[in-house]
Amino acid sequence: MPFRRLSTARPFLTLGLVVGAWLVVPVVVKTFARASFFELTAPISVSASYLRDLQQYWALRLHSNDELVRAGHDLSGVLSRYEFAVQQNTEMRAEIERLEGLLRLPAFANFRMEHARVASRDFSGWWQRIVIRKGANYGVPVGAPVIFAGGVVGRVAEVHAYTAVVELITSQNVRLAGVVEGDTRPISFQGGLNPTFGPPKGVVEFVPLDVFAAPNATKRLVTSGLGGVFPPGLTIGEINTLAISSDGLFKTGEVKLDERLGSISEVSVLVPLEQP
Amino acid sequence: MRHTLTIFLTLVLLWALVAQTNHELSGLRVYLFVGGLYVTYASLMLPWRAALTSILLGGLLCDATAPVAFGTHVILFSAAFAVLSHLRDRLPREDTIARVVVALLVNLALFLLFSFTQIGGSPPPAAAWPRLIADLIVSQIALALVAPWFFALQHRALLLSRAERAALD
Repeated sequence: MPFRRLSTARPFLTLGLVVGAWLVVPVVVKTFARASFFELTAPISVSASYLRDLQQYWALRLHSNDELVRAGHDLSGVLSRYEFAVQQNTEMRAEIERLEGLLRLPAFANFRMEHARVASRDFSGWWQRIVIRKGANYGVPVGAPVIFAGGVVGRVAEVHAYTAVVELITSQNVRLAGVVEGDTRPISFQGGLNPTFGPPKGVVEFVPLDVFAAPNATKRLVTSGLGGVFPPGLTIGEINTLAISSDGLFKTGEVKLDERLGSISEVSVLVPLEQP
Repeated sequence: MRHTLTIFLTLVLLWALVAQTNHELSGLRVYLFVGGLYVTYASLMLPWRAALTSILLGGLLCDATAPVAFGTHVILFSAAFAVLSHLRDRLPREDTIARVVVALLVNLALFLLFSFTQIGGSPPPAAAWPRLIADLIVSQIALALVAPWFFALQHRALLLSRAERAALD
């Protein structure tokens, strides 16, 4: 009879044993196991990503020559605009350096842009992150800011041999110091609201009382540059609602983030350059 | 050992397919969770030790690719395994429909438990639930559609690896 009871309880004894073993296993072993299992899955994600690229390539090959000529014309217009912007940018950089030299100001942190394809997107209700096809092999560091055409994407959370995991600003774990465009007072941004079929949203707190925003008069939220991770002026999103917080000292509100974050396929990692 | 490895390889395939599906669904903000499939077949059909080992490996696979405390999936899957092992003699485990129903119930329990461990950090935690419920409904529908195929795949993989006789002994 006692043997039968033990046999019935065996699954739960095993569960207790697994939990107990897990509690006493050293962190080094867990870290090693995590890295090993991640690297085991990395080739699968990366090969699937290359296959998607190949699929896209063959899909593009089906376009007619007329379509390609039209696209080329459009592209040449865009290129000429960008060339002009690059010239202006060079002049402005020279001006900034001249002023920094005159005023003896410390130089802004410099970054190297590392462009990377997205290998996989993982957007659950619990977390939002992407895996990119560049990692330690391209010198991507943990914590590096990641941007795309629409502004801030997130920051690098994990770096592996040839992939890196980026935690998105839509994720509840990401907090940033931002400013309303044209203002200098920092406000706190946190991601975390990702409704089904709707655009991702975040929350702003500690907004000064004299800042107003409404769905038909949104305010652009940009990075403040505080904290040293993100350079200033990068778009985070649009503040579309603000209401006075419970303590009455500040306002809190909702930020609409770029919808393209959900279908992002290429990003740029800002790799900090060593200061001389 | 052979059936553990075989079942683990089918779990890797499941992980890869679900990851690709979630990649494509990310634009719609819909997410599939099929934790129930990692546990059900092994718990109901494999010998105790082989089932536990393959489920632990499946849990480690999920833990390595998710930003959660390492071991969260392992513990949750082990708990589901403990309950299913306790009940396996009372369940019609040879019947595919019964297995699918078990997988759906396990998936529901795992999803809810996992959600409670994860949503604490959300700015207003209550605001996360509509999205989670939508994901749960989609996941359950997807699981009900995929489970018969996946159980057949696992069974066929065991036959191909000539591990089935040993597994079912």
